[in-house]
Amino acid sequence: MLDFKQSYFKLFGLPETFEIDFAKLGFAFRELQAKYHPDRFINADDKERLVAVQTTGLINEANETLKSSRLRARYLLKLVGVDFDDEIDTTSDGAFLMHQMEIREALEEVGSAQDPLARIDDLAQEISGEADALKDDFVDQMEAGNLDAAKEAVLKMKFFERLCQESRQITEKLEDDLF
Amino acid sequence: MALFQISEPGETAPTEPQEKQLAAGIDLGTTNSLVATVDNEGVAETLPDEQGESLLPSVVRYLENGQTEVGTAAKNSQLNDIDNTISSAKRLLGRGIGDIKTLAGSLPYKFSDSDSSVLHIQTVGGEVTAIEVSAEILKTLKNRAEDALDGPLKGVVITVPAYFDDAQRQATKDAARLADLNVFRLLNEPTAAAVAYGLDQKDTLEERIIAVYDLGGGTFDISILKLNKGVFEVMATGGDSALGGDDFDHAIATWILQESGSDLTHHAMSEARRVKEALTNDDQVSVNLENWQGTLSLAQFNEMVASLVKKTLLACRRALRDADLSKEQVHDVVMVGGSTRMPIIREKVGEFFDKPPLVDIDPDKVVAIGAALQADVLAGNKPDEEMLLLDVIPLSLGLETYGGLVEKVIARNTTIPITRAQEFTTFKDNQTAMTVHVLQGERETVEENRSLAKFALKAIPPMVAGAARIKVTFQVDADGLLNVEAEEETTGVKSNVDVKPSYGLRDTEIEGMIRDSMDNAQADMEARRLREQRVEADRTLEALDSAMKSDSDKMLNNDEIKLLLEARTELKNIKDNSEDSAEVKAAIKHMEKVAEFYVARRMNDNVKTAMQGQSVSDFADTDN
Repeated sequence: MLDFKQSYFKLFGLPETFEIDFAKLGFAFRELQAKYHPDRFINADDKERLVAVQTTGLINEANETLKSSRLRARYLLKLVGVDFDDEIDTTSDGAFLMHQMEIREALEEVGSAQDPLARIDDLAQEISGEADALKDDFVDQMEAGNLDAAKEAVLKMKFFERLCQESRQITEKLEDDLF
Repeated sequence: MALFQISEPGETAPTEPQEKQLAAGIDLGTTNSLVATVDNEGVAETLPDEQGESLLPSVVRYLENGQTEVGTAAKNSQLNDIDNTISSAKRLLGRGIGDIKTLAGSLPYKFSDSDSSVLHIQTVGGEVTAIEVSAEILKTLKNRAEDALDGPLKGVVITVPAYFDDAQRQATKDAARLADLNVFRLLNEPTAAAVAYGLDQKDTLEERIIAVYDLGGGTFDISILKLNKGVFEVMATGGDSALGGDDFDHAIATWILQESGSDLTHHAMSEARRVKEALTNDDQVSVNLENWQGTLSLAQFNEMVASLVKKTLLACRRALRDADLSKEQVHDVVMVGGSTRMPIIREKVGEFFDKPPLVDIDPDKVVAIGAALQADVLAGNKPDEEMLLLDVIPLSLGLETYGGLVEKVIARNTTIPITRAQEFTTFKDNQTAMTVHVLQGERETVEENRSLAKFALKAIPPMVAGAARIKVTFQVDADGLLNVEAEEETTGVKSNVDVKPSYGLRDTEIEGMIRDSMDNAQADMEARRLREQRVEADRTLEALDSAMKSDSDKMLNNDEIKLLLEARTELKNIKDNSEDSAEVKAAIKHMEKVAEFYVARRMNDNVKTAMQGQSVSDFADTDN
């Protein structure tokens, strides 16, 4: 039976760091699935089958967490005792929030640009650049032991996740209109 | 959906001659159903009936003595005994009365007014549900397989559409239980088709994108799958639940009736079907209706159906867009459904994706064959081949929160099984109970998603607001079925529910909701939404007009009539002038709200008649 108490990283034999080897994660994930998936317990009794469902549920949850940079960062903080719900908790960095509003306004105004598609491409690039910078910031703050600052970086990642989604939707709409 | 093969080094057991476990794959279709199994040579084949026919029409006829006829016999008597002959039961699986109003026109059955949330259809053999009808079909296939294999089946894999929600999957499993079948797994139809072609067996190091184009008798589905390091993921599904091979027959029949001047619609339809099939092999076919004779060329036919074909390709384009992929990124195109035999379909689909579609396996049988291959592995007949198929959840699962909004707990395309917990708290002092409302869908508000279950967590000890810690745990098993548990953590008070669908909680129409929810996840669908809302507004206006025309004098006083007419003018104005779907929608909602008393009054009046066995279309007219 799988040890439910070990960290998601240990579960897949990975070091507890932000940068991870995705190939290794994928391989370990499939190996664990092959062993514990309910399809391997077709003939077992109900209790064993339930354990299989729960075990693979945990494996899948762990995999989803580690695959996403924001969730992985949040989980790393949880491992060192900083647990929070980023649905409720939010950043209070005024300058950051102002900047968010600026980007958002820029996104809304894309339609009136001279070349909307070129404009949205530029914005998307800017957004993903800033999102990458946040990841670097998170790693630096963790290394320096500044857990509060690291948490701040994770809270900000959430904003950029939304911006990425929005810029994608706008791009699609623009392309659709061209068709 | 996910699939991978792993052979564990050292564990490849020396293959002792082991007794083969009997297993089968079942394609439970809207129009036809099939059963397939893997023979001793490892080849998957569909099993024919005594007449050598593999396809079992998904039609069940109920007789007065309580007996049933299933398949061709039932189909043949459909015209003479329409009330007692049920076809397309799959469209009703997991559906409640509120869901089927939009299907009303195409459903001739008499529905009973009953307390149960599940639809009951009246027949001479008694009341039946879609689950029971499906169970009859499954039983017939089970018997066919057990006769052919000469022993009881250990288990089966049953296929379901990728977009089937929890209620529909649950209903499918219930039907299997009624038929006394052990279900190893429910498998997505497009995934089964991909498995039949062995696409999972190809080099799995690289990501493969697979498009499954499924044109059946009465439905069209397009699914985009991603096979990534062994995981089959449903990227997007789309299609048209009212477009199928029948529409192509219809195009020919219309032509025949025009050319011949005859009005023998039924004969024209069966002749049309024959002509369509003949045109698969020949460039020109002679057409006969009574004394009239004509000729139809393939070129003529292709022109007749061009708009139908185009419609399917537009759906393909939309699905690719939803999946965020371009046509060039698609590696394989799999053809499913008898209607994909038409040369024009193969040609246009090939052109669209710029590669020849896979057609080597009989498109009627390909899904059943894939299911059989998976059943064989699950039964343990291939110890060397550690194939494992992982599924993803097709629609997000969430909970109702304040203000009628939905908080997603598990996002769609999450690999299952999955267990996930979310914490909530009380929002009033001394609150001792909390309702847990489980929803499925992609939209933000409760009304726009499918309500799966509602249950209460009681006996929460009185505390100040926000002090209680209520943990709600979602557990989705390998078939995509959900169990929800709520626990107050400070005291351990628990409540849990196997999610069974809760129907009829609201009267909004859900037909098409599943696909809409996926489509609408993208903002680029606004134009379509606006169109839909305008159609919806027209429908509402028409329903009001026809209702008022028929009984406003009996049921309404002058003030009430004035009120309704004012609301009518407002809705019409907004519909004609607004470019915002939400605004039109709100106007429809407003109109409905104003007319609520009138609908209720008419409904009361109508329930009496409905109980006497009125058809559902009359019923729906009242409520629209």
